[in-house]
Amino acid sequence: MNNTNRALNRIFTALLGLLTLLVGGAIGAVATVPGIRAAYRKAAPATRDDVIGWLKSIPLFDSGTSWGWIAVLAVLVLIVVLLLFFIFRQGGGRHDLLFTEETTPEGSTVIDADLAEHAVQHDLGRHPELLTSRVSTYEVNDTAVLKIAVTCRRGVSPRDVTTAIEDTLTALDALLGREVPALIHISGGFRVRLSRSTRVQQGAGSTTERESFA
Amino acid sequence: MSIHYPYRRILRRETHSPRSVVAITAAVIVIILCAYVGTEVILAMVGHRALLAPPQDMLTALGDLGTAPIGLPIIIGILLVVLGLLLIVAAVTPGRRARHRLTSSRAAVVVDDEVIASSLARSAAHAGNIDPDTVVVSVSSRRATVHVTPTSGVPLREEEISRAVAEQLAGLGLDPPIHSEVRVALHGRVGS
Repeated sequence: MNNTNRALNRIFTALLGLLTLLVGGAIGAVATVPGIRAAYRKAAPATRDDVIGWLKSIPLFDSGTSWGWIAVLAVLVLIVVLLLFFIFRQGGGRHDLLFTEETTPEGSTVIDADLAEHAVQHDLGRHPELLTSRVSTYEVNDTAVLKIAVTCRRGVSPRDVTTAIEDTLTALDALLGREVPALIHISGGFRVRLSRSTRVQQGAGSTTERESFA
Repeated sequence: MSIHYPYRRILRRETHSPRSVVAITAAVIVIILCAYVGTEVILAMVGHRALLAPPQDMLTALGDLGTAPIGLPIIIGILLVVLGLLLIVAAVTPGRRARHRLTSSRAAVVVDDEVIASSLARSAAHAGNIDPDTVVVSVSSRRATVHVTPTSGVPLREEEISRAVAEQLAGLGLDPPIHSEVRVALHGRVGS
């Protein structure tokens, strides 16, 4: 639910993949295909002389090197900076406010996102099916949307979990006077255990089933 | 689902991979390459000894590609082609996560498949009156397979298990809908 630009991720990956593919293919072709190899051999010395000529044509004062290398460095720095922007742009999108309402002619009411988050989290605590719950607020299309991430016990029906959370949300709606859009994510975290075992314990004529967390 | 709110985009994002890991890893590798080449250029400009090879040598090697022995370039070429293909595949495939959408009138709901599997396993064990350890459920995009290992000497209520699992799936209201199948293992186990 965050702000990650997924299309950009995929376009970037695709372009990089294409570039890598073409470069690898070119290197392979020069190494193997005799026709291309001969053409490359013919063209290479001339190109190298061109590059060296260009470098020599813009000498860096007296130092013996060239402005050309500075240009190369500048390009490299630009690439690195752009990529760093790209990396740090991932994620984000959390929001502080739930909504603002013009309640009276004199003023408006601003509801902080914490209100909904704490209210929902507190209410969820009374449901035994839920092990943990985490409520956060994201801004999607100029609207604050609640994200309720819960983990439930092994074997619990997701329908029961959904109904429980829906009840909480209905109560929140009554409290706020409006319906806040919400996303519920139900997960389990059971697969952490390598082996499951259920022990049946008998005592005083009754059997209790207890799951071991080994 | 509340008609006024466009949950569809959120749900699509929650059920598909953002490919952030691939993109960030690729970006980091490119950054490292740029940093290395930049370092070599600076070292050469300053007159210092190169780390691996001064940039002039790199250009020379590139120019000699037509005459150099073909072993190394072929290997490098193949590696790059494979890497490029993997990246393209990662970019193009939808990357569906192991999750399902659950219908709800109040909110958008996304459930991890393992929760569905665990819930079906419990229903199956309960309906068949068998030890939950003998039931293993695997859930994919459209199918849930319930593997049951019968205990020697105890008849298996396969039809009841099948019915209970199908009923529960219908009640969950999943999207894409899941169809169930019960498979009984050919070899049972000795009961306790």
